[in-house]
Amino acid sequence: MAITTRTVVHVDGISHTFGGALALGPLTFAVHPSEIVAVVGPSGCGKTPLVRISAGLLEPTSGAAIHSDRRPGSVGYVFQEPALLAWRRVADNARLFVTRRDEPIVERLLRVSGLADHAAKWPHQLSGGMKMRLALVRSLAASPDLLLMDEPFGALDQITRHRLHDELLSLHVDQRFGAVLVTHAIDEAVYLADRILVMSGAPGRIVEEFAVPFAGRRTNELRYSPPFAELCGTIAASLGRHA
Amino acid sequence: MKRIVPPMVVLTVILGGWYALAYSLDNNFASGDGSALIVPPPHRLFVGLNDPTLDRIVSATWISLSAALVGFAIATLVGIVLGVAMAFSRAIESALWPWLIAVQVTPIIVLTPIIIRVVGGTFGARVMVTVLIAFFPVAANTLFGIRSVSTPLHDLFTLAGATRLTRLVRLQLPAASPTIFAGLRIASGLAVIGAIVGDFFFTRGTPGLGRLITFFFQDTRSGPMFVTALVASVIGLAFFLVIAGLRRLLISPWHRP
Repeated sequence: MAITTRTVVHVDGISHTFGGALALGPLTFAVHPSEIVAVVGPSGCGKTPLVRISAGLLEPTSGAAIHSDRRPGSVGYVFQEPALLAWRRVADNARLFVTRRDEPIVERLLRVSGLADHAAKWPHQLSGGMKMRLALVRSLAASPDLLLMDEPFGALDQITRHRLHDELLSLHVDQRFGAVLVTHAIDEAVYLADRILVMSGAPGRIVEEFAVPFAGRRTNELRYSPPFAELCGTIAASLGRHA
Repeated sequence: MKRIVPPMVVLTVILGGWYALAYSLDNNFASGDGSALIVPPPHRLFVGLNDPTLDRIVSATWISLSAALVGFAIATLVGIVLGVAMAFSRAIESALWPWLIAVQVTPIIVLTPIIIRVVGGTFGARVMVTVLIAFFPVAANTLFGIRSVSTPLHDLFTLAGATRLTRLVRLQLPAASPTIFAGLRIASGLAVIGAIVGDFFFTRGTPGLGRLITFFFQDTRSGPMFVTALVASVIGLAFFLVIAGLRRLLISPWHRP
């Protein structure tokens, strides 16, 4: 993957206090165009505040998250829950913030994600996996430069989760967005990311960084390969040391 | 069948109780023609319902129905506007909320004579009484509905650079609509009660249902009095059913509580 020196977001020395206590940082990292960066860390280390600060939704106590593009829609966000608008049908949720010009993108995303046949359904008629797929489609419909994902697959069963991983990767091949994926699951981070940042326990700081060496299209077989297992083990050991 | 049987059982119990009450009350029937004086048994409800009496009930129904309808429409509008205003500004909420509660807990029979004194015994005064009694559940439910919108949904609109108006129209009001409809359901019943209770104080002009009930009571014409009360109940039920129907049409397809 070609990484340029341009960044889609530069998280510069941010920290965040909560109830007077330092909960996060200081930490610095950057995400380059079309790069997927995974962030793993123990519970309570400040992963969600980190994503919210990266999105510009939460003001850091110090430092800043600098985006290369500040236009509305340049940052996509997939939450832990699908956060769908219950009163809008599937297709209308997907095109929530897009202009008429982006309509073909929505159509294509719905088709690629297998939701085209469900376009007229209400969100409550979808399964958990389909809801999350729709949340992903909605986030990508405005062609964001940066996609932020806060444990989006945590509530799904393993088969659905693996299927969504592949869908995310194929959408990424299509759209080449930069992404930050916060997750508890080390195997998810290794399968999806180009780079993995390991965070310490609270106050969360980046304590180690791993480049993921798997070139080319990632398939399910990769999950059962020795290098994959080895990298997962290394990251787990790192987490254990710094938790 | 399961939906029909339980209410039919309750209806049977009510009718049984009604008959028991009518025939157990002392001096309930006149000694001459045997007409019911206090509680007519159900099968004699329409005895003595001649044309002039029917005309009076019809015109009273029109007056109370129109006051309830206009009052309910205004209460809906006022309630939603107040709810939105309070949801948008804590300052507006803290300024208005205690007074709204004060209006809500003040008995309407205290307020009605004041309104009539100030506004006069006009149709507008009837509507005002109805609005006062019906707006609160709409305002409160609008406020709480809007405040209950989840943070991720707000975040989505923030990231999209949505204006306050866009957020209100495309997120907050639709999200609050099930709660608003719950308020409308309560308000619809209150609007009818307001139109009828308020009517007791309107001593001039054509009487509404409330005053007509008083007339029939004073004349010991219990049959027409009960029919008039029944009409009032039917209006209340009709309001409730219209709101329930609208809710079923607009909210039920997508809303799963």
